[in-house]
Amino acid sequence: MSLANLDLTSVQQHFPDLLPSALSRDRGATAYRLRLPAFPSGRAFGWAELRLPKGFPEHARAEIVLSPDAVLRVPHLDQAGVLCTDGDPGPGSGHSPEDRILLLLQAYQEHFLAPWLAGGMDGDFAAEALNYWAIEVAQSLSHSDPVRAVWTVDPCPAEAIVRQGLLLLPERIVIAADEQLPITNRLIRSMGKGASQHIGVLVADIPISHTLTPGTWPRTASDLDLILGGRLKPAEYEMFRSATSRRGRRIHRVVLLRSSESAFAYLLPGGPPTVVDDGKRKKTYPPLSRPLPLSAVRLDPDWTVGRDQHPEVADRQGKRILVLGAGALGSPVIDHLAKAGVGFITVVDADDLSPANIGRHLLGAESIGKRKASAAARRVNLGYPATVVTPHAMTAESWLKKHALSGVDVVLDLTGDPDVRWYVDQARQEHPCPLLIGWMEPYVAAAHACLLPPQTPWIQGSRDPLNDLEAVSWPDEVIRREPGCSSRFQSYTAAAAAHAVALVTENALDLIDGADGSATAQVVSWVRGQHFLDKHWPGLALRDWALPAAPHEGLILTRPFP
Amino acid sequence: MTLTKSADLVLQAERTRPARLTESLESLAALRNDGLTRSAERDLLLAYSPWARALNEANLHITVRPEEIAAAAEAYREVAGLLVTKLDWPNDTIRILPQGSASTQTLIRSPFGGEKFDVDAVCQVDISRVAAQDPMGFFQSVGDALEELEAEAKKRCWNIPFPNRPFYLEFTPSVPLNNVSQYTMESMAPRYRAAFAYRATALAVVDTPTERWKTSNPAGMTKWIDDTAKRPLIRQVSMETAVLREAKAEVVPVPEQAVEITDTLRVAIRLFKRHRDMCVRRGIIAGEAKPISIIIVTLLTSCYEGLADLGRVYAHPVELLDDLASLLAHLVLKLEDQYRVDNPTVEGENFAEKWNHDGGTRYRAFVAWCKALSADLKTILALTEPQEISTRVREVFGIPAPTTDGTGLSSARYPAPPPTRPGRGLA
Repeated sequence: MSLANLDLTSVQQHFPDLLPSALSRDRGATAYRLRLPAFPSGRAFGWAELRLPKGFPEHARAEIVLSPDAVLRVPHLDQAGVLCTDGDPGPGSGHSPEDRILLLLQAYQEHFLAPWLAGGMDGDFAAEALNYWAIEVAQSLSHSDPVRAVWTVDPCPAEAIVRQGLLLLPERIVIAADEQLPITNRLIRSMGKGASQHIGVLVADIPISHTLTPGTWPRTASDLDLILGGRLKPAEYEMFRSATSRRGRRIHRVVLLRSSESAFAYLLPGGPPTVVDDGKRKKTYPPLSRPLPLSAVRLDPDWTVGRDQHPEVADRQGKRILVLGAGALGSPVIDHLAKAGVGFITVVDADDLSPANIGRHLLGAESIGKRKASAAARRVNLGYPATVVTPHAMTAESWLKKHALSGVDVVLDLTGDPDVRWYVDQARQEHPCPLLIGWMEPYVAAAHACLLPPQTPWIQGSRDPLNDLEAVSWPDEVIRREPGCSSRFQSYTAAAAAHAVALVTENALDLIDGADGSATAQVVSWVRGQHFLDKHWPGLALRDWALPAAPHEGLILTRPFP
Repeated sequence: MTLTKSADLVLQAERTRPARLTESLESLAALRNDGLTRSAERDLLLAYSPWARALNEANLHITVRPEEIAAAAEAYREVAGLLVTKLDWPNDTIRILPQGSASTQTLIRSPFGGEKFDVDAVCQVDISRVAAQDPMGFFQSVGDALEELEAEAKKRCWNIPFPNRPFYLEFTPSVPLNNVSQYTMESMAPRYRAAFAYRATALAVVDTPTERWKTSNPAGMTKWIDDTAKRPLIRQVSMETAVLREAKAEVVPVPEQAVEITDTLRVAIRLFKRHRDMCVRRGIIAGEAKPISIIIVTLLTSCYEGLADLGRVYAHPVELLDDLASLLAHLVLKLEDQYRVDNPTVEGENFAEKWNHDGGTRYRAFVAWCKALSADLKTILALTEPQEISTRVREVFGIPAPTTDGTGLSSARYPAPPPTRPGRGLA
């Protein structure tokens, strides 16, 4: 169906304010003006039109577009003036194209025009302030802007302050903190060549109690000066106004207005000239003549890790976790712990990554032949600025000989190695700390997280209870010998192991957070059902304690330890 | 000649302020001369009318109307009923009256709606006829009686949320001091003394941080503001009708309505309070450091009183607003290194007491606000197009554009309801 087949007359019968003349618009769109009502003073805009993009009705939705003078004055418009309310239900809705247009026009009238005239939308800017700020920023954008965005890495200060920040080139990102904060250095490292040059800037970091809207955000240098004068202490205000570098050159000054929910930044005029290197030649642009609005985004752990929904992140940031083993279980667990906001992870593993590992390891072919501990640490350190991973490419036994467990909040033994379990127990006698022992059974038919409070040893009497805790009594043939060498392995998929990774990580986080139950020694097990066992090896049977899982695809069971 | 305290304050402020806002504005400079002829006065009225109209629109929008405040009377009665029943006090031992901005007609709405307005009420109890006499016991007994209204204790009052009404009630238990015996007065030993001129309405309220009685005088404050607001400072008001009639006869375009914002003191209090609230919204001052309303009210009323005492006359309310705004920052006394905004009705009470113990934060916020107010008014007064003036006034004071109910919109028929759409998964 094409636009020529549309029966707009029937639409007009139901919506007489749709004017019949078709107008051509960019990218093959067709538009029809809408007759506007008499506006009260201050509510008028130039025009409104129904726009049918190229591809309507099959591959595009109809939209309402308002004149440019309405942008940032009327809520719910994007930068191009497109009204962002539900309207055309789209090609998959089962409606005829005419009905879709009619639904859009009715939505425009009932959910936009009428409330706009009645003042019902006057508070709506505040609800989506950052969307409108993005428009303000985009409207001021140019390729010669000295700064592209501001990143914040710590909580909003209680009182307005002037602080050092860093402009990172060539990415043109300002971090609103200096290298005194470790997270600044970690971000710089993550940015690699994008942050090859660091230039000191000054940031006026000012808390705000209400989000800013097009009606309240500063527009001029004088508006910003009023804020600076009102919020900074006199000496800081003077210093910020007349700031120069140590060599007496002009420096960039950023005004950051923020709360935990929204942030707005400006680069002030009066900074140094900007040099833009497009790869072929360098061009110098004069300093700004007016404040440049900038997007300000949060990279602090509370936001990147938990979107402010996880107050436990603040505590986790101070925790030190020792992870023994960076294999198919350990390496993704480290990754998940970093994603959960654990501040410090020490990872110990003596092995190199082999080609056969990459099917189920955090690392891929780029790390073949590299130390698993070092490469996993590098990967996580680059990706997650809220976490510091320190690698030790040595056996757990060697590490435990060289280091004590003092200062370690939780130990995760994910080696599966009985010797390591014994050494860890010895070390815990000297420095008691919570321990999680995690392992998988063949095919990941079961996985276990054994949680031990500080005073509970793993070795019971002189016996290592691992085999007794398993869900299946395994025939020897299940474990295979790697061709040409002495290594033994069992093939399982990364997808099957993902259940084990999740089980171990969730329980590790409980131990780290000191959650309910972490004071009791227990074993939490993921057990697959009989159907899964039968698929992998004939004649396998679940032990009695695990039988409840038999009819299911999988079940998590919790038992006391031992 | 002996100057009144307020006149002296104004003269001092005039010596330190840089200039009137309108002084440098060409558009208005020509209008500022003495010995105006009638036709010049008419021109002046017309010239000021766009500002007056725009400021009046803002004033009308922010003002909580008397009938809305009257609706709160029902809430007072509810509270009074509870006290009488629960505390077993005789009916005629208590009186509940509005106080603060609710009684001075200077209560304003919060910007962009949403927030409730606070109605202050004072509950006067004849303490000689009720049991509770120690301050904290008295305060607590009132709170206990209001438990079912979920009253929450604040420094000197109980805050009653009244969930389904547009206001909450700040309810202050108090004891009128005019009829307590000397003995009772001595045993109460309230902090501060009532100013002589307002002794008849003095009260003792409970200052819970110090656990002592403290003299207060909301009715005296109201009376001071009412009396001051009535003093004529605008020359044009009495002449406006004649001037406008003359203007009509000459077929000169005339403002549709009489001169607005003539209740200039109250208008100034409302507009300036609103401007302060907008400055918090704009990030110019921190919410916790903003100048409290009673300071704004006291400074403006003192200034108005001082101007009246000095016999000043203004051609138009806009000029008076200009003066009030430009003098404001210079009206705070600093005596012996202490900021002072004296309560005119209670001797020794300094509304700006906190300014002296916060490292200058609140004073800086006050100055920043005054500066923003002057800058904004100056921008508004420099505009000449009525539409631009109106738009800028709305922006500065956070006033939404006028509305209609949208009844002029054509109606349209709905097509058949759409089939149920599939839900969205998280990704």
